[in-house]
Amino acid sequence: MDPPAPPAGAAEPSQSQPLKPSPPLPPPSSSSNPPISDPNPNPNPSPSPSPNPGPIQAPNTNPKPPTPPQPRPPSSFNRTLPPSQPPSQPHFPHFPSAPPSSSASAAAAAPRGGMAIGVPAHHQSPSPPFSSSFGQHFAGLSRTGVNVAESTSSPSTSQVRTPVQGMGMLGSQMRPSGIPAHQQRPVQSSLRPPSSAPSNQPAGSQSFQGHGLMRPSSVGSPASPSPSASQSVQSINQPWLSSGPQGKPPLPSTAYRQQLNPQSMQQRSHIPPPQQSTPTSLQQQQQQQQSFLSNQSQEHFGQQVPPSRALHVPHQQQITRLQGPGNQKPSSLVAVQSSAVQPGIQSRVTNVDSDEACNSILSKRSIHELVNQVDPLEKLGPEVADILVDIAENFLESITRSGCSLAKHRKSTTLEAKDILLHLEKNWNMSLPGFGGDEIKSYRRQITSDIHKERLAAIKKSMAATEAAPAKGSAGQASGSARGSQAKTPLNIIGSPNLKNS
Amino acid sequence: MSNSSTGTGTSSKQRAASSQPSETSSKRKRGVFQKELQHMMYGFGDDPNPLPESVALMEDIVVEYVTELVHKAQDIGSQRGKLSVEDFLYLIRKDLPKLNRCTELLSMNEELKQARKVFESEEFD
Repeated sequence: MDPPAPPAGAAEPSQSQPLKPSPPLPPPSSSSNPPISDPNPNPNPSPSPSPNPGPIQAPNTNPKPPTPPQPRPPSSFNRTLPPSQPPSQPHFPHFPSAPPSSSASAAAAAPRGGMAIGVPAHHQSPSPPFSSSFGQHFAGLSRTGVNVAESTSSPSTSQVRTPVQGMGMLGSQMRPSGIPAHQQRPVQSSLRPPSSAPSNQPAGSQSFQGHGLMRPSSVGSPASPSPSASQSVQSINQPWLSSGPQGKPPLPSTAYRQQLNPQSMQQRSHIPPPQQSTPTSLQQQQQQQQSFLSNQSQEHFGQQVPPSRALHVPHQQQITRLQGPGNQKPSSLVAVQSSAVQPGIQSRVTNVDSDEACNSILSKRSIHELVNQVDPLEKLGPEVADILVDIAENFLESITRSGCSLAKHRKSTTLEAKDILLHLEKNWNMSLPGFGGDEIKSYRRQITSDIHKERLAAIKKSMAATEAAPAKGSAGQASGSARGSQAKTPLNIIGSPNLKNS
Repeated sequence: MSNSSTGTGTSSKQRAASSQPSETSSKRKRGVFQKELQHMMYGFGDDPNPLPESVALMEDIVVEYVTELVHKAQDIGSQRGKLSVEDFLYLIRKDLPKLNRCTELLSMNEELKQARKVFESEEFD
């Protein structure tokens, strides 16, 4: 539970401030924390600082911080999570119900999970497996660099709890009850999070808000502490926080996504340098999508990044087009066309703030923005936005799966734009200009059998021969006899009164 | 998008025959409509010098549209033999502005032909 490293905490003291309100919740669990977090030398007892420094530290220590971070997060999460655990359980039936005892470890893990969004990976010894994977997901979402997942390669159900809780903390949108088995579940399952907004969140959401703040800060500085990124993260997070108490948390499904990310995060060894792109929610969402897609592809191929770029492009394109030019530079589109440039993607991914990542691919905010573009006076009900988010996520997942299958069929381990394009073109009848590359669309001539050609020739002959013949009645009879004589009459011949000479 | 097996002998022959020229021109030329598109974009409200990426995107859209149209026209025209202008007019029958513009251009073309014919015949006179 001790914060992973004092420098992390010192690096961003401002960020820890918002966390303070959340920490007071779980005082009793603090006792359990110390045994968990032995590796951490940091003796910081207060829960608030622990989660804060954790996430912050993760980005600073970018290249997979070893043991120290682990103990820190669990303790902090333990404090906040326990109350939310029981109610959240029903929401995640698929998750192995981690016993409350593990909550301590989970708590440790949870902060990581939350931090996973921005925190590289403070793996805690007891709950690391779960939390790490959790963090990985976040990392994947928000940035590739986060190494949270690394240490948590071994999923433990108990730890699963905490990450879930952590997730809730992140955006105050995640369900505290955790997603115990997120690691075990395949990617698909993660995409089917219960769409119903968890009602139990509001209680814990506020407490999580503080953590959510930490997340962005930690996320913002993956490799090198970037104050601008953290600032942008905070600003971006704030809308989340402000909206948190008002309504239901944006996406309960985000918790699932985050779980996926930790797994993929493991594969990523480095955190790309943060980009300077304008920190807008749109960008973050796009990056989240990209990172999520890249994570998925990684899971499929067991590789690192490369697909993220390809994935990045199509979604970015779609999002850009949908939401207007926005921040995306047009040059990015051109650059995207050249398949698989990892550094570019990673930099973009790192830009994505953790708070966006925790909400899975799409957030309610982006849905509302889209609706705004269509009609400024239109309003969407919360259930409608939820369903739209679910639809979008399912769509993205199916597209990614099919694209990965095509890439595999191509005997390649890299998911490229042409895989996605082919699938969309053939199955969804969607043609996306701007990504097609330089291939010439070949035309497939209609396959006409020989018999068909003979019949057509015969018809033309008869038509030419009987042009002079005026008899329409005879033509009617001829058409009848023609049909009878021929097995199939080409009905596409127009002007068939002179089908055949009677 | 790429040639998929048609299965019949004729189609395979066709593919083999077309593979050679397609290989040499496997990459279609970029910037075929660049200059014209730049002016058109300016006319529709864009910057006098639009971004190259925007022009490339527009060109992709245009080429894709034309390719799609020609393929459909080929599908229809092959039933009657050869491609003809009628096939294209039939395909855009639902798009009134385009249809009207097409018929207008065609009629103007005919008038010009007539005028040139008369002019040339007058010259010789």
